[in-house]
Amino acid sequence: MGQGVLDVDDNSFESEILKADKPALVDFWAPWCGPCKAIAPVMKELEEAYGDSIVFARCNVDNSPNTPTQYSIRAIPTLILFQDGKVVDQIVGAVPKSHLEGLVKKAL
Amino acid sequence: MPKDLYDVAIIGCGPGGLQAAIHSASKKAKVIVFGKPRNSSLYKAHIANFCCSEKLISGKEMLEAGRKQAESFDAVFLEEDIIETKNENKLFSLFTESGETFTSRTLILSMGVARKKLRVKGEKRLVGRGVSYCVDCDANFYRGLDVAVVGNESAATTGAITLLSYAKTVYLICRKLMITDTLYEQLRNSQVKVIQGTWVKEIIGTNDVERVLLKNGETLKVNGIFVELGAKGALELAANLGAIFDAETVSFIETNRKQETNIPGLYAAGDITGQPWQIAKAVGEGCVAGIEAAEYAKKLADS
Ligand SMILES: Cc1cc2nc3c(=O)[nH]c(=O)nc-3n(C[C@H](O)[C@H](O)[C@H](O)COP(=O)(O)OP(=O)(O)OC[C@H]3O[C@@H](n4cnc5c(N)ncnc54)[C@H](O)[C@@H]3O)c2cc1C
Repeated sequence: MGQGVLDVDDNSFESEILKADKPALVDFWAPWCGPCKAIAPVMKELEEAYGDSIVFARCNVDNSPNTPTQYSIRAIPTLILFQDGKVVDQIVGAVPKSHLEGLVKKAL
Repeated sequence: MPKDLYDVAIIGCGPGGLQAAIHSASKKAKVIVFGKPRNSSLYKAHIANFCCSEKLISGKEMLEAGRKQAESFDAVFLEEDIIETKNENKLFSLFTESGETFTSRTLILSMGVARKKLRVKGEKRLVGRGVSYCVDCDANFYRGLDVAVVGNESAATTGAITLLSYAKTVYLICRKLMITDTLYEQLRNSQVKVIQGTWVKEIIGTNDVERVLLKNGETLKVNGIFVELGAKGALELAANLGAIFDAETVSFIETNRKQETNIPGLYAAGDITGQPWQIAKAVGEGCVAGIEAAEYAKKLADS
């Protein structure tokens, strides 16, 4: 809670996300992407509210090309919810907070 | 200092931008306004609920009158879209579709709201699997592939040209291009395959985009389609400056009562700040933004 959104990359993805003991929401983003910047504060707010029960992370697709390829990501921001190493749900684009919160609540 | 430094730059010449121009220019600020009147929501509207005018007024006439008013205070107008914004050393740089750069001490965003989705079969289902709304964000995922861009204006045209550096083949699907002559020349001299006079009917694919069906019956085999309707909007031009959006919808720019955003020198006014989408609100916010920006620019110039 309130620890901020965790930065993950190709190397740490398995240990931090796939093997996490909690569900994890990963925001695939890049610095040149406007919509990604718009949604970043929403991730932060949700982390403050739900960070105890869910891992909130972000993966810069510019520095970590393998993970996005593995999950067939072709648009950013893409937000993927993982549980026990598997994809549970996925959202593409800068969506409203309520939309993202709905996804988070599914995992609680 | 750049030789043509403006005090106030305004993106958008709808009622929000026009009122901001009138108020900032009448305070003796050096003002420039970008945008195309026909792209204002007001252009085709007829207004009956704007204060102190009983008759039905035509939106087009209001836009023309507003421009004359602003010009009478020496505001400068340029009928071009802005395709990129930057914020460096307390100055804003704006890049136009014709490739010119303008610099200003303050920036007022009044781009209004515009439709971004095509609303055709297959579009929603294939978002993120070949359907994209942002060339700048997603071009990199289409290296060596075939892609189409759909749209009639600057966002689609500049998007198609950008994609040439990534994709193998780039098609531009448009009814009729509405861009400046300079940008048109650039397009004509590029490798973009322009398909004019038609539109997208359906996007086809099982898991990913495979084909695009056009209204003229033609089918394009592509791996991706970029929907770039109109000009670049708030998510493209404001988010990269660091402007904060409302958390509820992530569509509108957050401002305080002075129309200031979280970025010093950056203001927003009109439909772009959220509902109600009404002229009275747009001009009210434009008035405040114009006054505040002119004052801020003066302080910056004196410091
Ligand atoms: C059919 C219709 C009827 C309406 N009726 C009413 C009514 O009765 N009463 C009422 O109060 N309101 C009405 N409205 C709403 C009203 O038109 C809007 O609230 C108002 O126009 C908003 O003003 P604005 O300046 O924020 O944006 P707009 O008027 O939409 O202007 C946006 C401007 O930004 C420019 N722009 C956008 N992107 C870029 C870019 N990248 N670079 C450069 N320029 C850019 C465009 O060219 C345009 O000039 C109506 C709207 C419609 C569509």
